[in-house]
Amino acid sequence: MKHENDRKRTFLLITIPILALFICFNTIPLIRGAMYSFTNSRGFGSFEWVGFRNYADLFTDSRVGKSYLFTVKLALVTTIVVNVLSLILALGLNSKIRAKGFFRGAYFLPNILGSLVVGYIFNYFFTYILPALADMIGIESLRSSILSSPSRAWIGVMIVCAWQAIAMNTIIYISGLQTVPEDVYEAGGLDGATGWKRFRHLTFPLIIPFFSINMVLSVKNFLMVFDQIVALTKGGPSQSTESISYLIYNNGMAGGQFGFQSANAVVFFIVIVVISVAQMKFSSSKEEQL
Amino acid sequence: MKGKRVKCLGLAFGCALSLLGCASSADGKVEIEIVQYKPEAANYFKTVEDEFNATHDDIHLTISSPNDATTILKTRFIREDYPDIIGIGGDINYSYFVDAEILSDISDYQGIANINPGYLEIAESLELVPVEGTYILPYVANAAGVLYNRDMFEEHGWQIPETWEEMLNLCGEIQAEGILPFYFGFKDTWTCLAPWNAMAVELSPSDTAKQVNKGATTFTSEYRELAEKYMQLLPYGPNDPFAYGYNDACTAFARGESAMYPIGSYATPQILSVNPDLNIDSFVMPASDNKEDRTLNSGIDLGFCVMEGCRNKEAAYEVLDFLYADENLQKYIDDQNAVPCKTGDFRLASMLDGMLPFIEEGNMTDYQDHYYPSEMSVDALLQTFLIEKDVDDFLTTFDTNWQRYNRDIIRMVQAYEAAHGNAN
Repeated sequence: MKHENDRKRTFLLITIPILALFICFNTIPLIRGAMYSFTNSRGFGSFEWVGFRNYADLFTDSRVGKSYLFTVKLALVTTIVVNVLSLILALGLNSKIRAKGFFRGAYFLPNILGSLVVGYIFNYFFTYILPALADMIGIESLRSSILSSPSRAWIGVMIVCAWQAIAMNTIIYISGLQTVPEDVYEAGGLDGATGWKRFRHLTFPLIIPFFSINMVLSVKNFLMVFDQIVALTKGGPSQSTESISYLIYNNGMAGGQFGFQSANAVVFFIVIVVISVAQMKFSSSKEEQL
Repeated sequence: MKGKRVKCLGLAFGCALSLLGCASSADGKVEIEIVQYKPEAANYFKTVEDEFNATHDDIHLTISSPNDATTILKTRFIREDYPDIIGIGGDINYSYFVDAEILSDISDYQGIANINPGYLEIAESLELVPVEGTYILPYVANAAGVLYNRDMFEEHGWQIPETWEEMLNLCGEIQAEGILPFYFGFKDTWTCLAPWNAMAVELSPSDTAKQVNKGATTFTSEYRELAEKYMQLLPYGPNDPFAYGYNDACTAFARGESAMYPIGSYATPQILSVNPDLNIDSFVMPASDNKEDRTLNSGIDLGFCVMEGCRNKEAAYEVLDFLYADENLQKYIDDQNAVPCKTGDFRLASMLDGMLPFIEEGNMTDYQDHYYPSEMSVDALLQTFLIEKDVDDFLTTFDTNWQRYNRDIIRMVQAYEAAHGNAN
């Protein structure tokens, strides 16, 4: 019995400092942020309590609305693009090809580069190289930088986000594909499952846990997109690529809307929690067990 | 509240943080920390710091010049961590800082007597509601208008325009010779404000924003002509001005790709870093049909404020004395092509030649955007307007957004007026 207590105490000793750190650096700031959301604070100096005014404003502010639309659109499209492409890549990189190790390394490379660096390089690419190329080949629609057009700039952001995110997702899919035992394919092969059918009915159901973790990670990451925006467009042109995180940072810190953007952050937090929980629920109901 | 936070942090990094926090006066010296917001002047301030420390035994000075200092400052203010002196511009942030009561009244500082009263007035009118005292000591001013390639102008015999009509004619002439009249870097939204400000000083009263706050007028009626005229400049710029940023535009102008660049004098160091041989001059942007209406768009580019939290004001004043010494100020002017806010005999850079008569006459008007709240992002509104080219929509949005973002200020101004009869 005493032995059991010692064991429990060890676990507690491990858990409590971590919990304390988590509360200090996560929970307390969160609560303070929520508190600020009921003030008209600029972040410094004196402020007044304004009750739910910030929340009421949130739902009538067209700029906030626009940023939610943009962010959701970006997150949805990028998630689909990233997952389709990285699944295809993973299938390729998991098959018996030459120099597999090299290719896996090469495709992982974007993930180790800082997203600001990648963003600035792509910024140059979109502004100068792509229009010059389009000029040479004669593609009229690409002659001006896609980042300068309010209706197309989000595509540039999407490409950069996807380019970088595919690396990690591919690795997760590869590890998923390696958990599928060979004998399942053999048995399936006897029943005539090949090609698309094999993927649709054997591979995919077995890697659903990996699919769901990828979906949750992608959606969450792209909803919180920030670095790429800073490096590529700074929210422009005409505020068409202002993501929620960027708006919160920009107007909360640089602008004087600390209280209002705290309210925005609280709402955004709730939105992300709801989406993540819903996704987990949905995909865990689809999981197959061998 | 502060105590609680310190206790929490103490759990984790207490030792490390408190060491950082109490770095001052280990050797009996008074620590003075300045954070100033112009990263392009970082080298100058580094030398000032070294010289000051070499000549003063009792005070140790640290000057930092981070990128995006206003955001850094505000983040530090959130943590109630104040430097002793801050170097900021005379814009809405200054108004906010005064209103938040975190700046200290420096009217007892003797150096104020040497400051050009015009700039002290500008500083005063930046206060949201009139406040007793002086809170900023203007250091240098900048001026916005049009920078032009002097050699190119001489070669083609182009004349400096003095009215809006002459301006458009000149643009047409330049274009007819196959040269691009203007370069724009509208991808960086703030550059959209440069021509806007330069034209606004002539086309609408300098206190437009305050009048709107009082409810006396609307932007729709004050800014219509301005917006329409701004749009007429666009055809004289590059095909896709929204693809290029400030750096791109400076580089292009430096390489002679355009004859003019409507931006402030602050851009010249950047331009000369690309092409040191470029012969730049400037002129006041003419926006009115009447050449007597011309006035130079100039505001406080850098001023120093002593923070309320500064524990040793005398030491802070000594630092200010050093900064405002003629030879140091002259060095700054040479380095940054700035206009001094101190009265006296200073040599100005040659690219200010065209603006000099206005400076000497004192014919200057502050930037309109110094009154715009930064979170309203007027720069982005302007960019949208320049892309969509819809004057009515732009002006309506401007008015509705203004009411929305300035709600607290408007309430404050109107309360002040009810109490005092008239806010200036």
